[in-house]
Formats: sequence, C-alpha cells, structure tokens
Amino acid sequence: MTTARKRARKIVPLIAGIGATALALTGCTSGGGGGEATAPDSFSYLSFAENTSIQDTLTALSEGECSAENEALALDITTQPQASYDQQLQLLAGQNALPVLFASGNTPQVAKDLQKGGKLVDVEQALEDLDQSDAIIPAAKSTIDALYDGEQYVLPTEFNVEGIWYNKQLFADHGIEVPTTWDELVAAADTLNAAGVIPFSADGQDGWPLTRLVGNYLFRTLGPDALQRVAEGEAKLTDPEYVEAAAAVAELGDKGYFGPSVTSIDYMTAVNQFLTGQAGMFYMGSWILANFNDPEQNQIGAENIGFMPFPEVEGGEGSADQLAANVGVPLALSEASYSDDVASWLGCFAENFGSSSLANQGVITGFKVATPVEDLPPLTQEVQSQIEATTQSVLWFEALFNAKAATTSQTNASQLVTGALSPEEFMETVQADLGN
Amino acid sequence: MTDTTLETVARPTVQAPEPQRRSPLLWVRRIPGWLVVAVLLIAVGYPLVWLLMGSFKTQAEFLNNPTWALPEDWTNFDNYVEAFTTGNLAVYIKNSILATLPALALTIIIGVAAGFALEVMVWKGRGTVLLLFLAGIMVPGQMILLPLFTIYFQTGLTGTLWPLIITYTAIGLPLTVFMMATFFRGVPREIFEAATLDGASIYRQFRSIGFPMVKNAIFTVALVQFFFIWNDLLIALTFTNRDDLRTIQVGLLNFTGEFGQVQYGPTFAAVCVNVFGTLIIYLFLNQRVMKGMTAGAVKG
Amino acid sequence: MNRVLGDWRAVTVLLGPALLVYTLVMLVPIFWSLGYTVFEGNPIIGFTFVGWDNIAALFTDPKIGDALVFTVKYALVLTVGQVLAGYLLSLLYVFWLRKASGLIRTLVFFPVVLPTVAVALLFQALFAIAPQIGPVNALLNAVGIESIDWFASGGTAFWVIIIMDIWRSMGFYAVLLYAGLVDIPEELFESARIDGASGWRLVRHIVIPLSLPVLFSSIIFSINGTLKVFDSVLALTNGGPGNTTTPLTLYMYQTSFTYGEYGYGSSIALLLTILCLLVTLFIFRSSRRDLTKG
Repeated sequence: MTTARKRARKIVPLIAGIGATALALTGCTSGGGGGEATAPDSFSYLSFAENTSIQDTLTALSEGECSAENEALALDITTQPQASYDQQLQLLAGQNALPVLFASGNTPQVAKDLQKGGKLVDVEQALEDLDQSDAIIPAAKSTIDALYDGEQYVLPTEFNVEGIWYNKQLFADHGIEVPTTWDELVAAADTLNAAGVIPFSADGQDGWPLTRLVGNYLFRTLGPDALQRVAEGEAKLTDPEYVEAAAAVAELGDKGYFGPSVTSIDYMTAVNQFLTGQAGMFYMGSWILANFNDPEQNQIGAENIGFMPFPEVEGGEGSADQLAANVGVPLALSEASYSDDVASWLGCFAENFGSSSLANQGVITGFKVATPVEDLPPLTQEVQSQIEATTQSVLWFEALFNAKAATTSQTNASQLVTGALSPEEFMETVQADLGN
Repeated sequence: MTDTTLETVARPTVQAPEPQRRSPLLWVRRIPGWLVVAVLLIAVGYPLVWLLMGSFKTQAEFLNNPTWALPEDWTNFDNYVEAFTTGNLAVYIKNSILATLPALALTIIIGVAAGFALEVMVWKGRGTVLLLFLAGIMVPGQMILLPLFTIYFQTGLTGTLWPLIITYTAIGLPLTVFMMATFFRGVPREIFEAATLDGASIYRQFRSIGFPMVKNAIFTVALVQFFFIWNDLLIALTFTNRDDLRTIQVGLLNFTGEFGQVQYGPTFAAVCVNVFGTLIIYLFLNQRVMKGMTAGAVKG
Repeated sequence: MNRVLGDWRAVTVLLGPALLVYTLVMLVPIFWSLGYTVFEGNPIIGFTFVGWDNIAALFTDPKIGDALVFTVKYALVLTVGQVLAGYLLSLLYVFWLRKASGLIRTLVFFPVVLPTVAVALLFQALFAIAPQIGPVNALLNAVGIESIDWFASGGTAFWVIIIMDIWRSMGFYAVLLYAGLVDIPEELFESARIDGASGWRLVRHIVIPLSLPVLFSSIIFSINGTLKVFDSVLALTNGGPGNTTTPLTLYMYQTSFTYGEYGYGSSIALLLTILCLLVTLFIFRSSRRDLTKG
C-alpha cells in the first residue's frame, strides 16, 4: 500500500494547520465550479462498498487484459457505503477532488448535477476518440439515453432487465397459464392465494420492489413516456390515470397478495420466500440470477423458474415487449483528471469489461461481449436472449425523480399496499416532493 | 444536596435504611421482588444469548427457522471466519482502537484541565465560557459535518484517522468540561486556598490535588465518552473513505448488500465479537466504573 | 491568593487547548453551517443566495411539522420512560437489594455499551412477524391476541423505538440516580421512621425531595440525548414507514446529504439547536440552578 506511506506524511500538519485553514476558509462557503485538468497519480475508483462485482472485475482486468495500462496508472480502489455515498460525492465534488472513476450515486440525479457542473467526461465522445463507439450495446445506450436526457456520460457496468419471475411448478400445480394481461395476472394471484400460496413475494421494507409495479403499470397503460411527461411537468402523478396505477397495486395489497406482513419483509426474506416455494411470483431485476443460480439458496431449482415481462394492461398504450431495464451502478469519469493514461484505461475497460464481468462474475453488462463466454447457466442465457430481443426498454418509477421524491416514494410504498395511505395520498405525497 | 462534600464523594457503600421488621413470612413477601429481578435478568441476558446463537446460524436457518431456535451446529465457525476474512473485522477493530484511545486521552486531559480552569480558578468571564461549552452539548453533530469535511480535505487529513480523532475530541469536550466543572465544584475551595497559602503553584495544584480528587469522576466521564466514540456511526461514516480506515460500526454495515440483502450470520458474528469484546473490557473495569458513577454522577 | 488562582497565564495554558479545539472544530463549523441557511444548492451544483427562503420554508413544510412532533413526543415519552425506569431500578437497588445490588447493577447497565446497530437488529427480530414470528408476537398469540406487524405503522413502530431505548438506557439512569440516593444521609431516614413514616410516605416525603437535584440532572441529560436521537431510529426503522418515525435529525441528514439541499438542511439543524437550547434553559430555570454563579 503506497497510500499508507503517504498517509504518514500527511499526519504532520495537525491542529495548527487546521486552525489556519479553517479561519481562511470560513469566508468562502461556496463550492462548485470547474477545476483545471491535472494528471492523476493513480487510476482511483470510488465504489459502493456494497457492490463487489465491479471492484473484482476491475481488479481482474488490472492483472490481466489491462495490465499494461495498470502499469502506467495503477488501479486504486476505495469504497463508501451506499448510505453515505451521495454525501461523499458531493463533498468530493465540492473540493474538486472527484476520483478518476466512480459509481455515479444512488439516483441518476447525482450524475445529472455533476454533468451540469461540467465535471464529467463525455463518454460517447471519449469512446469515439478511442475507436470504441460500438463498445456499449444499443439496448444499454437507449436506457442511458432515457435516464440521462439523451446524453452519454456514464458506463453501463450492468444491464438488467426486470420482470416477473414465476415458479413453474406452482403454476402447473394450480393450472395457471403464464399471464399476458394484468387481469390474468390478478386472476393468477387469486388462484395462488386461494390455494394458500403467497402470490407475490416482495421486499416491502425497502419499498422499491413495490413502486416498480406502479411504474410498470403506468408504462403499460400510458406508454413508455408516461413518467417522462411527469418529469417535464406535462402531467402530474395526481392525475386520475396515474392514480389508477397506484390504486391497482394497492388493490393487490388489499387482497393480501403480498403475504401477511409485507412491510417487515426485507430483501433476503423476499428472495427466500420465492426460492423456497412459499411464493408463486417475484418481481425483480436480472441481477437476481446470482441467487437463482446458487443451489444452496434455490430450493425450487433453477429449471423451475420462468421469466415473464410485466403483462399488458388491456386498452393500454404500452406493450409487454417494452421491458423495464436499468444499468445497475453506472460509472462516471471525472473530467478534471481525464489524462491520456486514463483514456487508454478507458479503452481497455470498454474492450474487456463485458466479457470479463460475464465470465468471472456472471453479471450481464451493457458492454459488448468481445470474447464469447462458454458454459453460462441456462437462466442467464435465457435472460441474455431476452435482452437481445429487446428493442425498446422502459425505466422504473423513480428513475427520473429527484432524490427527495424517490425517497418519499420508496419509504411510503409499503403504506400504499397496507392501506395506511390511499392511492391519492400516496401520489400526492410524491408529487409534492417532485416540486413541479 | 447542592453542596456535595468530599465525604460523600468518597463514600462508596450503600447506606440504606434498616431492613423491614423480621417476620417468618419474609421470603413470601420477597417473592415479587425476586420476580422483578428475574424479569430484569431475562430482559438483559436473553438478547446476549440470542446474539451468540445467531452467530452460529446459517443464512438458511435465519430465514427458515424460528428466531428463538437453537443453532443446528454449535461448532459452525464459518460466520466468524467470514467476518474476519471478507468482513475485514480485525482491521476495523484496530482502527476503532486507534481512533478511540487517542481521542479519549485528548478529551480527558484537555477537558479536565479546562474544567479546572473554569471552576477552581477565579477570573472574569468564566461563566460565559462555561455556557459557551454548555451550548456545544446541544448542537447536533450533523451541523458540523459539512464544514469539517472541507477543512480536513484542505489540510490533507482526509485519508487518515486524524479527522476521526480530532472530531471525537471536539465533540466530547463540551460534556467533559461541563461535567468536570461540576465535579470540581464539589471539591471544597478551602483545599485549594490552603495549598495556595502553602505556596503550591497552580499547575502543581492541578496535578497533585485537582486531578487525584476527581479521579473517579474522570473515570466515569471517560467511560461515557468511550462508549459514545466507540459506538459512533455518523462521524465515522462521513470521514472514512477507505476500507482500511473503517471502524467497527461502519464495518458492520458492510454485511449488507447493494439491494438490501443482509448476510445475517457474519453480521451477528461481527456483532458478537464487538459485544463480547466490550463485555470483557467492561467487566474488567466495572468495579471502577460503578464506583466512579456512584461517587460523583452529575449533580450540583 | 488571586495571584495564583487567578493567574491569566495559567488559565490560558489549562483552558487554551480545550477552547482552541472546541472553537475550531465545533464553533467555527457551526457558524459556517449557519451561513448555509441563506443559500440554496450543494457543492456539486454550487450555491445561490436565497435570503430567508429556507427559514420561511420551515414554517410551510408539512414534514417539518411531522418531524417536530415526533421529536418532541419521542423526547418527552422517552425521558419520562427512561428516567422513571431508572429511578424505580435505583430504588430497587437501594432499598431492596442493598449490598447485593452490585451484580444486578452491572448487568442492567450493560446494554448501554452495546452498538446501536446490534440492538436494532435484536429488536427487529424480537418484534418481527416475518420471516419468522418473533417472541413478542408469539407471546401475544399465546394469550389469544393476533400478531401485530409492529413496523407497518408509525404508531406501533414508535413504541418499539421507545421500548428499545428504555431497555438500552435504564441501567445508565439507574446508576446515575442510585448515586444520588446513596448520598442521602442515613439520619434522615432514621428520624423519618421515628416519626412513623414508612413505605410510600417515606419515598414521597424524603427520598423524592432529596433526590430532586440528581433527577433534574438526569432529565437534562435525557432530554438532550433524546432530542438529538439519530442512530437508534436510523438503525431500527430508518424513519419509516413513510416519514412517520422521522425525527428532525434524520430529516436534516436526508435533506442535506440525500437530497443535496444543504441550505435547507442547515436551517433544520438551526431549528433543532434552538429547540434544544430552549428546552435546556427551561429546565435549568425550573430547577433553579444557577450555572453562571462562580
């Protein structure tokens, strides 16, 4: 650790130094503003502490395909727990001290703010300069476009599609066909419920798996731009056609389709309910494949799990082939430290990240897979073909919200399905925090 | 009661009224009391046992067996191994110690000195300064995070444990100074006045009279501060940006995944190491703690 | 005399370091933070001057009202709860267990030292309904009451937080108050008993009045800690469901760091600080203690 030695030198200017600087700085409270580009002394990467797959892939690259680049500019990984991650980014950005490469925050809004301040590298341009324009697959590109107002300044280190996973065995036992419409879905849930099976396993503690349903319902009834219109202020969540979506999900809760105590169910419990056959359906993104492919967790067997897109709502403008998608934890590059060495790192990254991540981590990324990967589990292959077949993707409920509205939406979600908040109240609360 | 004398400070034992009149049915009358004690012991003891059991359970046991079930395999130390390897627990413990002890020592030394200067010494404006410190007790920690981050960054302290040590010291000061001033108030002024007449310098008085006299009290304050620092999450979360700087409390969050998935077993194992480690320190120091708290406490 | 006890150089040497650290690391940042209250924005997007807008927003934001009510309610209920529990325990120690109380005191004190994250995990499991029915609900079922999803509504979650914090802190307050009770001169009890007082009357007329000062200290201690509650709520409910268990501290933290509204966050912190100051001053007044008196 070279940093350890560096640290020892930094200890010297102790309290006296702080004092002088503190007084000097008191007058100047404003941060922001761009800084001059300086060549960094390492390829520093700031990651969510919770996400290890990107770190591992980067480390693998630095020792393998990108060892030459690593020689020139050594990879240096630091992590920050998600809970305090955005805060850390704000503070670093305020000091013009963003790392070379970093996870772009808990909500897309953080990257948008950074971009507004001119702090991010234009990835599209940078990749073109490196002759790597095709490095990011089209589906991921379109998701990024939708998320970031048509601009490309993040790297899709994951590409996940979302939908409803179902237990084939339970469906067969109760004579349920795979639903293609919302009404069929509700009917299927009713059949399962009557048979004493929890229809939907859902992580109500975190809330987002519930609001995902609201979002999907909106995309199916009002079309793929349903939430774009809200973001632009052309529509409001309190409009009746939007409240209808919340009401539809609240009704599932009212009928007890999420099981007896959805508020108290955390992520692992929800996964476990599905993988032990207690629940018939499970709305989740394809990152869950890691759990599905783990026989220790998966008691029902991977071959017993099917995937269906969120069904259509009759008479709605959206269609079921518009899969919900996201790019996981998108990474961004700091403009201030984008030197030639960083550029060649980016080139190697774009070239190899996709295959390395898939081969070593089993994670599907938004990068092309340059080297074909053999022996993928069947479920992963199935999802990959789903992704390839997808031409248009939609986002999720909070994707275009500011952090405040996103938090409000997710923390109030369980109250929506328990009936503590009416659909109107829920949408009003979220709309209020959207501030437009 | 406003004047705590030295005698009461030094009196360690309980002086309670005489027992109630003896009667053959004494033990019957004592049953409710013992019941209360039994309930207390269960309320405090059960959670510890539960934690310990949890540290031996697998993820599947957590999800599929009742909470109070015994672990299926008491010799399953995988969680501990996981906590120390993937969880980096040893590094976190080291960091916690490296941040806590210097901060504690600094707080106590300069805090006691300040308390002495504010209460024993006579000068104009000391009431105001004491109030200034008192105000600090009420300020929420969140209020100072932002500017501090800038300061530490500009001085190049970010990336070391110094931000933690300095912040803990500063945040601990108001309560320490305030409590020490209160304790010094309980020491009769005549002692210092007599010492002054005998020609003792003020530093000597501080070292040889002031400090020893409030030793138990210092111990109490140190203990309160220790647990505040040791259990702090907010400051450690903000000022540690590298895995090798993280303290135990922040480290405990590491067992939670990106989507909210929790590794229950290793979390419990890490908590157990933390809790039982603290328990040992605590039992070791307990006699002194209780004496210290009993002797002084916060009273005026 | 005053040449030694009033030596300015000595005052500087003894008080200087503490005052310096305190000023630089607490006071300067506090005023710096106050400066943020007239700005909008964060370090990423920069700051713009908005004058009193943030302060004005405090009065119209319904979430401030909710958070304020929760904070005050929590502080009052918990202060009553933990000081009362501590007081009862200390009475138990002094009058019932007497010399045998050492071990019990130690054990009951112990939860104070446990990490909040661990305690929160514990209470989540104790009051759980899923994945497994927790002991509390099992107990309710045993007496014929249906399981309650404690964390599904702010009303029930509030009580779980209160119970958890009483459990955590009663041992601390017990020892604190015990210290006060032990100091009551034996002769007072003797003479009271000769006058025929016993049991409840003894407690009411002798014990309570004489332990009032230390009771007041405990209450100040408790109010100050409880108004600033952060860790236990964060770890147990994270303010949810919705914002039904969100205190001012957590709302301030979210506003500044999650929503990136530093100015408004600082305004909330200011509100909290004023609240703490007012409450403390109020208690000081009512306890007729004069701090500034030399």
